[in-house]
Amino acid sequence: MTAQHVMSCHAQKQRGANMAAVAEKPTKERMLCALDDLEVLSRELIEMVALARTQKLPQPGEDTQVLELLVQRDREFQELMGVAQQQGKVQQEMQLLEKEVEKRDSDIQQLQKQLKEAEHILATAVYQAKEKLKSIEKARKGSISSEEIIKYAHRISASNAVCAPLNWVPGDPRRPYPTDLEMRSGMLGHMANLPTNGVIGHLPGDALAAGRLPDVLTPHYPWQSSDVSVGMLPPHHGNDFGLEPPGHNKENEDDVEAMSTDSSSSSSDSD
Amino acid sequence: MAVAQTKLEKESGDWSLLPLVHDIIKCMDKDSQDIHQELPKLKAKIQEAREQIANMPGIDSSPLEQQQQLATLREQVRTKNQLLQKYKGLCMFDVPKAS
Repeated sequence: MTAQHVMSCHAQKQRGANMAAVAEKPTKERMLCALDDLEVLSRELIEMVALARTQKLPQPGEDTQVLELLVQRDREFQELMGVAQQQGKVQQEMQLLEKEVEKRDSDIQQLQKQLKEAEHILATAVYQAKEKLKSIEKARKGSISSEEIIKYAHRISASNAVCAPLNWVPGDPRRPYPTDLEMRSGMLGHMANLPTNGVIGHLPGDALAAGRLPDVLTPHYPWQSSDVSVGMLPPHHGNDFGLEPPGHNKENEDDVEAMSTDSSSSSSDSD
Repeated sequence: MAVAQTKLEKESGDWSLLPLVHDIIKCMDKDSQDIHQELPKLKAKIQEAREQIANMPGIDSSPLEQQQQLATLREQVRTKNQLLQKYKGLCMFDVPKAS
């Protein structure tokens, strides 16, 4: 780069063709450019002076131009230094603002996290409340008066349906569980009217003892024939009963007989 | 002495090369041998200025761009502050502490 080149560049700049573009350039680039110009111009000026002194020639007007340009570029460089220092201060302010933005971001994220947790808790609470309302509504629809419940409780306790009397012995007609008639009129009794194929074999002994036998089989047993002192039928007997045809297993027959005796007694008792 | 002078220049922001050029031309006029000391001074000053420019913060953009960035940052802080105030102003429930 020579002084002529610098001068021509400077002339272009002075024409103002790209003044806006220059203003848009980064300050660092403008400063380095100005410094390069200063270096070139000062070298050129020194060489000119040295040449003029050695050759003892009168200095042409070019050195004056170079000197003026050097002074102008030096002034510009000084101004750019001032601008750079201002930008440095602005940069500090920007760094502070960036830190503040980061802090705010973390605060916002923390709050968002808490709000999410609250939303989750509230959603659970609303779901539970809705479920509760549903059950309340359901209970309201099928409401039973307390008097009726008390009456029923009296009835089942008076007939020894839930607890045997203290002096109860096997054979005592006051049975501590629902009577045969009650069982038949209940849901289990109705279920006993279903088709019998493959069902009987899986009936538990207690269910059989309680009168869940199908109607087809029921008449074959002597419900009211004898008084046997056995009060309860073991559960495994029920299973045996389903596998063997009725009447072929003597032991089962006896058990069932015992149950039927009790049942019939209580039925008559309850009647 | 030279270090103190450089420090003073930095503090006062005097980065003019003209005094050094003037000294060099004066030495040449006088045919002084000090010119051999003055020329390296000019070179060193230019080099120092380059290093200084390389280390200066915030001059990678033009002042206009920097002002725009600053305005954007201020706007961000303002918006985030507003958002935080809004969050903090939401209806709060008194959560019973487990005793």
